[in-house]
Amino acid sequence: MASTTLVEVFVDAIARGLLFALLGSGITLVFGLGNVLNIAIGAFALIALIATSEFLAVSPNVAVAAVGGVAVVAAVGVAVDRTLLSLVYRQEGEDRILLGIFVTLGLMLFFEGVMFVEYAEGFSVSHGVPALTVAGLRIRGSTVVIIAVASVLLALLFLFLQRTYLGKATRTVFQDETGATLCGIDARRIRTLIFVVSVVLAGVAGILQGFHTNLRPDAAFELTVFAIIVSIVGGVRNIQGTVGAGLLLGLVITYANFFIGAYIANIILFGVAVLALLVRPEEIA
Amino acid sequence: MTRLFGSAADRTKAVATLALLSVLPLYVMQTGGTYRARLLELFLAFALLGMALNIVFAHTDQLFLFVGALTGISTYTTVYLVDATGVTVWALFPVGALVAGLVGVFVSYLAARLEMSIIVIAILTLSLQLAAEEFFEGARDVTGGTTGLRFPGLDLPPVEAALGFPSRIVNYYLLLLLLAGTFVLYSRMIRTRYGLAFDAIRQDRVAAESVGIDVMRYKMIAGFTAAVLIGLVGPLYATAQGRVTPTNFAFQSVDVTVLIVLVLGGMRTMLGPLVGAGLVIVINEQIGVFGDWETAAFGLLLIGLFLYFSDGVVPRLEALADRYDLTALPGRARDWFG
Repeated sequence: MASTTLVEVFVDAIARGLLFALLGSGITLVFGLGNVLNIAIGAFALIALIATSEFLAVSPNVAVAAVGGVAVVAAVGVAVDRTLLSLVYRQEGEDRILLGIFVTLGLMLFFEGVMFVEYAEGFSVSHGVPALTVAGLRIRGSTVVIIAVASVLLALLFLFLQRTYLGKATRTVFQDETGATLCGIDARRIRTLIFVVSVVLAGVAGILQGFHTNLRPDAAFELTVFAIIVSIVGGVRNIQGTVGAGLLLGLVITYANFFIGAYIANIILFGVAVLALLVRPEEIA
Repeated sequence: MTRLFGSAADRTKAVATLALLSVLPLYVMQTGGTYRARLLELFLAFALLGMALNIVFAHTDQLFLFVGALTGISTYTTVYLVDATGVTVWALFPVGALVAGLVGVFVSYLAARLEMSIIVIAILTLSLQLAAEEFFEGARDVTGGTTGLRFPGLDLPPVEAALGFPSRIVNYYLLLLLLAGTFVLYSRMIRTRYGLAFDAIRQDRVAAESVGIDVMRYKMIAGFTAAVLIGLVGPLYATAQGRVTPTNFAFQSVDVTVLIVLVLGGMRTMLGPLVGAGLVIVINEQIGVFGDWETAAFGLLLIGLFLYFSDGVVPRLEALADRYDLTALPGRARDWFG
């Protein structure tokens, strides 16, 4: 086997890992902050993609359409947070975790059902970036876009969490909600903000994935599953861990796909998640 | 007979319900064909799966999100063994159920050993469910992939011939027999030390341990019982569906439905899952009026249900019956008129 092929697979794996990292961060942020495991996250990714391709009919510029798509998903995120999640946050402890799972599961079915009616044929977005050839390696244009956009976005996320006042407030709530409240931080408003950030991350991941392949509504559940597994392996409350786990699992699944075949690759992925749960079950609850 | 059930009230309820269910096919056979018969089979299958989840989730806080995988494991094991050995399915389907039971008890063991919280068990079993789905679809030489396997079911040609019942109705009565057994088992379990231990563990694990309850043992018993029951339902459920295909055991088709059945009907009640299954089947038929919007409507229903109706139909009806209890009427009248 040519070594150039292996390097090309590696680049693909990095792109996939970064997408996983975006999706996983979406789960980790919301779960870490408010104990809600957002099963509907894959649907948010698709909403952004669908909105983007609808905007493309109006404005031919991909970047403008993508910004429009992200704005739509952010608006949907605010609406969901203010209505459904407010009801969920009224519960405490384990009750809230369970209710969060069930309500977002219902939301997932709702979004999926709507998308099946209106957009069953699926979506992809053309980006117009030509394929690159570097030192004999051929890299797809979509891969270049994914790596560039996703790394910038993750860097911005870390800058936000480390450097800004709101980011520090977020980390405070992560660590100690009571303490944060005593410092005058309004945890509920931080949760709204972070929920919107999480659906924006997922939305960008959805749009980027749409550069790569055509996504149909049933991809939503699959994206959710990837997101949850990445988040678990990374240690559900740890954002650096999640990004690392995303890259690691991207490598594992891409190489397993390449060498063994798709279905065993997926089983390996779930196996890693099970192992992570068995090794440190206490990190999650 | 007197000691078959855990309490006299359970016996009355169970016997009345079973009597009603045993004449139900006569009505359906007069009015509709195979389609209705299939709904009846699915009704009992989901009621039984709901009762299994009731034991393991509602009573012992182990949220098994791999009911679909367990039904699949027992069904594929049964079909595979029948093909490989040529022995009658009647001898082999308990083996399939036992395999499912062993998987269940192993998960319960790990969960108790590592002191997993309810959410960790949920995610763990969900991962197992998804891995099993990949396997059912991918391992084509064993499972037949997405096209599936043909499965004649647990058929009883002599009975069909003697009574003139279609095979679907026979399958319904097999499910009903299993339901009767499960009523007895559940009633006995919950009204004896098992039920007390389950309650104690659920309310305060540490306190339960400190009075000498072997928490791990009771959780494993619950896990095993539920998983064996799910395993027994598996082949009967597959018979109702007609063909053994991966989609029949998928998370979206089994686990989501079973959760709704249990929560809607009422957790920690004997009849709750049955009532829930009946309502879900009826709602599913009625929701057909939404046409393509069926899934979306179901999602909204699920949200509403969990937010506003999480205590279930049966507990609400029982509370209502208590409030208007006729035997207490004289006393209440006395209070009223001073």
